[in-house]
Amino acid sequence: MTARWLTLCSAIMAATTLHAQARPQSSAPRAADGKPDLTGVWQPGSTTPGSWEDANSGNGLGGTGKNPNAPVALSSTDRHGQEGAPYQDWAAKKVLESFNSRDIDDPTARCLPAGIPRLYSFGLFPVQIAQTPRQIIILYEYMNVFRVIPLNAKHAEDAEPTYLGDSVGRWEGDTLVVDVNNFNDKTWLVGGGTFHSDKLHITERYTRVSKDQINYEAVMEDPQVLTKPWVYRTTMMLREGTRVHEYVCPENNLDVERYEELLKGGIKFGRQ
Amino acid sequence: MGKILTFSGVLALLLAAVPAWAHHSFGAEYDANKPITLTGVVTKVEWTNPHTHFFMDVTDDKGNVANWKFEGYPPSVLYRTGWKRDVSMKPGDRVTVFAWRARDGTNWGHGRQVTLANGTKLFWGPPAGTGDGGEKPAVDVK
Repeated sequence: MTARWLTLCSAIMAATTLHAQARPQSSAPRAADGKPDLTGVWQPGSTTPGSWEDANSGNGLGGTGKNPNAPVALSSTDRHGQEGAPYQDWAAKKVLESFNSRDIDDPTARCLPAGIPRLYSFGLFPVQIAQTPRQIIILYEYMNVFRVIPLNAKHAEDAEPTYLGDSVGRWEGDTLVVDVNNFNDKTWLVGGGTFHSDKLHITERYTRVSKDQINYEAVMEDPQVLTKPWVYRTTMMLREGTRVHEYVCPENNLDVERYEELLKGGIKFGRQ
Repeated sequence: MGKILTFSGVLALLLAAVPAWAHHSFGAEYDANKPITLTGVVTKVEWTNPHTHFFMDVTDDKGNVANWKFEGYPPSVLYRTGWKRDVSMKPGDRVTVFAWRARDGTNWGHGRQVTLANGTKLFWGPPAGTGDGGEKPAVDVK
């Protein structure tokens, strides 16, 4: 009796597991290999579904101004999150110096790439994801940078330190997990002044929870400047009909002369 | 005093080490306490990255004409905000712009909203304060 009962239980559990594996966990579209399909053009830093125009009708960053009551979007130097970034004391002072000088040392101001996860911290520019069973390609309009993320691969042994690091991905259930290392120390993490060392290691998680939405999480570890792992979360919303455009930043960056003139002229723009 | 020295040190370092300065900090270049609304005739539109510019002749009460320059979003963002290159605004058009003035008092502004010749209102640039660190630093001040 006991043996039969155990056999029955095992059979039920096996059937339940098979059913759970076969059934999609969410309404997210699936690729041919059964994995969630992340393909599409996405707006990071937004929670509003719909077309780009409809979702960006407010007065905030990049909005059309047609709906003054629409939520305000953050810029790439704004603070994201209630909790302060966990910098070591000496490093926190350096972050504060950037804030007090109004972030004039922002690498993107010199047309250098916004770092990870900063690339996902503002919604002014779209991001396109292309997916195959063997790799994920991400195209960022801002600074026209890209990432090629091989799946189930090892980090390149000969990789040079770079702005966006070396990425390898794997599927954990319905979540794409991307391990990123081999960074240089020339980007900001998320928010003004958030520098890091070349010992930075980031674990990203992309979960398409519905047709319209990807939940994104980045765990940043840098024992040289942080006291503990720093977690950043945001969402990306599908923007059907939106294209990723060309953005050649150095084309006409006239402000070099402007800043030098302001400084030579003794114009005070720092915070008190 | 120490804080001032530190800030000066940062500036000196940046001046020495950074050949290309920035376009992103609103607060460094423009003064949010100096809003201005001007009407004039468009003389030139620069549809360039990382920022667009348009130039406008403004005539004062005495008939003096001054040429102003207004910085705005990059072309891709203007496109998504509803602008059409060479269509929405052309040289010769009479437009009104709301902007914030440059800190150095020159005829230069950060353009926000443009009222076009046909009455349409479109945003030319983001709100005041964009890119200069916002209200609160990323770290908690102890």
